[in-house]
Amino acid sequence: MLKSLIVFTWFFLVWVALPLHAGASDRIVEDLLGRRVVIPENLSRLVALAPNITEIVFDLGKEKMLVGVTTYSDYPEEAKNIPKVGSYIHLDLERIVALQPDLCLAIKDGNPIDTVMRLEALGIPVYAVDPRNLESVMQTLVRVGGLLHAEDKAEDIVADMRKRISRVDAMVAYVQKRPRVFFQIGVAPIVSIGSDTFIHELVVRAGGKNLAEGPVSYPRFGREQVIGLSPDVIIITSMARAAAFEEIKSEWSQWTNVPAVRTDSIFIQESNLFDRPSPRLVDALEVLVKLIHPELFEETD
Amino acid sequence: MNPNTPLILKRLLTVSVLLAGALLAAMFLGLSMGSSGTSFQAVYTSLFGTGDDSVLGMIIWRIRLPRVILAALVGATLSLGGLVFQALLRNPLAEPYILGISGGAAIGAIIGILMGLSRFPGVSLTSFTGSLLTLLLILGISTGQSILKKNSILLSGVMVNAFCSAVIMFLVSLTRDAKLHSIIFWLMGDLSLGTIQQTGMLSLLLLPCFILIFWLSNTMNLLLMGREMAQTMGINIRAVTLTLLITTSFMVSATVSQCGLIGFVGLVIPHFFRLLLGPDHRVLAPACILGGGAYMVICDILARTLPNQGEMPVGVITAMIGAPLFIFLLKRSGR
Repeated sequence: MLKSLIVFTWFFLVWVALPLHAGASDRIVEDLLGRRVVIPENLSRLVALAPNITEIVFDLGKEKMLVGVTTYSDYPEEAKNIPKVGSYIHLDLERIVALQPDLCLAIKDGNPIDTVMRLEALGIPVYAVDPRNLESVMQTLVRVGGLLHAEDKAEDIVADMRKRISRVDAMVAYVQKRPRVFFQIGVAPIVSIGSDTFIHELVVRAGGKNLAEGPVSYPRFGREQVIGLSPDVIIITSMARAAAFEEIKSEWSQWTNVPAVRTDSIFIQESNLFDRPSPRLVDALEVLVKLIHPELFEETD
Repeated sequence: MNPNTPLILKRLLTVSVLLAGALLAAMFLGLSMGSSGTSFQAVYTSLFGTGDDSVLGMIIWRIRLPRVILAALVGATLSLGGLVFQALLRNPLAEPYILGISGGAAIGAIIGILMGLSRFPGVSLTSFTGSLLTLLLILGISTGQSILKKNSILLSGVMVNAFCSAVIMFLVSLTRDAKLHSIIFWLMGDLSLGTIQQTGMLSLLLLPCFILIFWLSNTMNLLLMGREMAQTMGINIRAVTLTLLITTSFMVSATVSQCGLIGFVGLVIPHFFRLLLGPDHRVLAPACILGGGAYMVICDILARTLPNQGEMPVGVITAMIGAPLFIFLLKRSGR
């Protein structure tokens, strides 16, 4: 009891004391993890610590503020020309500090907490966001938009996303059958996606049934398990290019009693549309509807 | 003490001063170079000029300095550990990881990472516990009189290590997504997250070990002359062996828990200096501490600056330099 009281008091004191460090024109905001962050009033130098955050900053039209991005920030194309600060999982502290950012934007899942703490110890504020599905991507857009004084732009993007999502919802609302989808994100071993992933949300929203749903985020499968599940649609996202895809597809194709093989419903998709929770998730959703419910598009044509 | 003490003292001083110079030069280089650019002048003015708090100053003192010191400590520990184990087990291939220290530490670290603990002190503590547990296990396996039989320790170490790698593979196969990266980086040896507090704590643990081993270095000489010889000189072989084993394992597991598995340093550096300076451990011990530290600092500079983006795990560099160098040394000494 006494111990928890002491801990509580300590946290309270830190909470109260934090604003004392802030300059007159600084803002104190709470980030999406509930941490209090002191944001300098004139933000001009930003480092995005993950590719999806880079995308969000570009979407908000604030790419001129970006002085550093992570190694695999390859979308949009212009992001490739911004100085790199290591991969999101293994950040190069020295490069980040050398860029003298006013603020770093971090993600909860991925950026190591030790690195974030060291950045803060070195006097660089870190604002953490947690985009992991459609709703939280939109929330991230609004919050980062507020931070970067791009509130209107953020609202526009979110409104557009909501419009497109409800269009998809309306399309699949009356479908007769929900095809059984096996979504494969790894080739060897075969890895699929559990219920708490954003791809699961997209598959379900696009009117499919995720065969790998369950508590494990990224469950592994043996080939015989997949065949036993008899998927109607197999979607593979892979960084491997076309040639490799033909190989993977022909491997599945020998199992002719799998429905997906009979109806030729094995698809490969560019992985970077599906591997990062950014506003492009809506694009991914629209792609999935076409793959899972092609009949909806035949009717409207 | 020996009658030839003044002579050995002179050699000891010469070697120490030269290698301390090399270590300082390497550290200066390590402070000057980094992913954000190289500037010798900045370090010089920062060292001897007026105190400024520019960004470069912050990078040099708060990012590079802890890392350079950590590298020096790790290099010194692993080299000295190699020297001790090679003397105790009288086997040139013995290295500080031989007693399953690496395996136990790795299992502990992976469990810590999987539990989502932070790197320090969480993961450091679990890996430290893991390595001490395997050490106890091995000492337990080879208790009784067989503790003095070099092969029984060596063999149980190799076997416990093999078993540990199986457990590591099992844990890795269970792991997914983001945590896999931290585990693999840890397994390959990684100095990047050293802070000044961690480094300070580590040096407090290591320095007494260094002194103790240096103090026992003449005893190691006598041990190498054979058991009868050592006994007639009035040495309690069992006590000395146990002290050295436990001290070395303790300091090696302390460093391993900080920066993962860094191979070959403990093999190459002692061999190099033995070839260069002869078999006297009173000279070899400080040479390994200073020279091993300098070697590691240079390997870390390469790890930081060679890749165009990001950095390499330093364990990759030490192995890539170490293995060929070791073969070269073997061929030289064979002649």
